[in-house]
Order: sequence, then C-alpha cells, then structure tokens
Amino acid sequence: MEWADRYGYSPTVNTTAEVLPESALREAVDLLVRLVEAAGALIIFVGAVWAFGHFLLTMVRGAGPDRRFNRIRLTLGRFLALGLEFQLAGDVLRTAVAPSFTEIGQLAAIAAIRTALNFFLGREIAAERAEIERERRKEADGSRARAEPV
Amino acid sequence: MTTALNLAALATTAFGLVSAAVVLAAAGRLVPALAVLLDFLTAAGLLWLTGDPSWSTIAAAAAVIAVRKLVTAGLRPPRPG
Repeated sequence: MEWADRYGYSPTVNTTAEVLPESALREAVDLLVRLVEAAGALIIFVGAVWAFGHFLLTMVRGAGPDRRFNRIRLTLGRFLALGLEFQLAGDVLRTAVAPSFTEIGQLAAIAAIRTALNFFLGREIAAERAEIERERRKEADGSRARAEPV
Repeated sequence: MTTALNLAALATTAFGLVSAAVVLAAAGRLVPALAVLLDFLTAAGLLWLTGDPSWSTIAAAAAVIAVRKLVTAGLRPPRPG
C-alpha cells in the first residue's frame, strides 16, 4: 500500500461522487411543485375574476336569458378544469419525493379529490355544452318556423 | 405564498356571494344562483387545497365538493324525455 500512501488513497474515503444529492433533488422538486401549483391557482383565480366581471356586466347590460349565465358558468368550469390539470401535475411531481407516510396520505387524499373533481367537471361541462347547443337549435327551429308560415 | 392563496380564496368566496346575488336578482330564481355560488365555492376550495394543507383543510374542501355535487344533482331539472 505504499502507492496508496503516496497518492493519498484511503479505502475508507467515500469515492462515489454525489452528482445529484437527495437534498438538491428535493429542493428542485419542491420549487417545481410550487411553480406548477401557483400556476394552477392563478388560473383558477383568474377564472373566478373573469366570471365575476362577466356576471356584473350581464347585470349592468340587463339580464338576458339564463343561457347567458350558463355560458359564463361553462367558461368558469373550463378555467377550473385547466387549473386542476396544473395542480394534478404538481401532485405527480410531488410523488417524486414524499418522505413520510403522513405526507403520502395527504398527497393521496388531495390527488383523489382533484381527480374526482376533474372527472365531474368534465362531465358537467359536456352536459352544459349539450344543453346550450339544444337550446340554440330549438331557437333556430322556432325562428325558421316563424319565417316560413304554412 | 400561503397568505396570498388565503386572500385569493376569500376573494373568490366573496365573488361567489355577490355573483349569486346578481344572478338571483336578474333571473329571479334560486337554482341558477345556487349553482353559481357552488361553482365559486369549489374554486375557493381548490385554492385552499394549494400549498401544504392540513387534514382539516383537506376534509373541508372534500366536504364542500361533495355537498356541491349532491346539491347540483338534487337541483338538476329532469330531462325532457
């Protein structure tokens, strides 16, 4: 082991270079999760502000049919669904580092709530859109019938 | 960030209350106003869930969403057959 002494080699020294230490990975994932979740929250809040403004505008301009309110709700639902997608992406990222069972449990509960809500929102948006389409078609048929008297 | 999120959630709840009042005044019916209020409350619940929520926050958000689902299902008019 003379060469080892000469070159300062010691078998007890850990020679594995830590390319990506766990703490750095944790910090990076935490930052990404915060960014993605903040984006989702921002989208949801912007949707709420947008819907609020449009409800007020509809009130100021004079209330039209219920369909106008439904359209605003439909757009708010789309904003919510988009924000939820971002937040679910944050949940998926967070699964990369989940140190304790409590955190894993909370993550599972939040992800379950968001997934269920996303599913129901998708169904509600589809139903609402079909309803609007049906009303529009009924109105078009009515105006056509008035235009062509028998 | 948590303070900003809490403020955003509170503002969303307030928006929902005002919007529901507007819809109630304009349409003169309770069902669309309630639907609007529940949509905004769902948005507020989602904002509460952002960050590092506690179990009680998670349970509250889940309860709001479940109630919203139940009320929406109960208030939906029967489809014309």
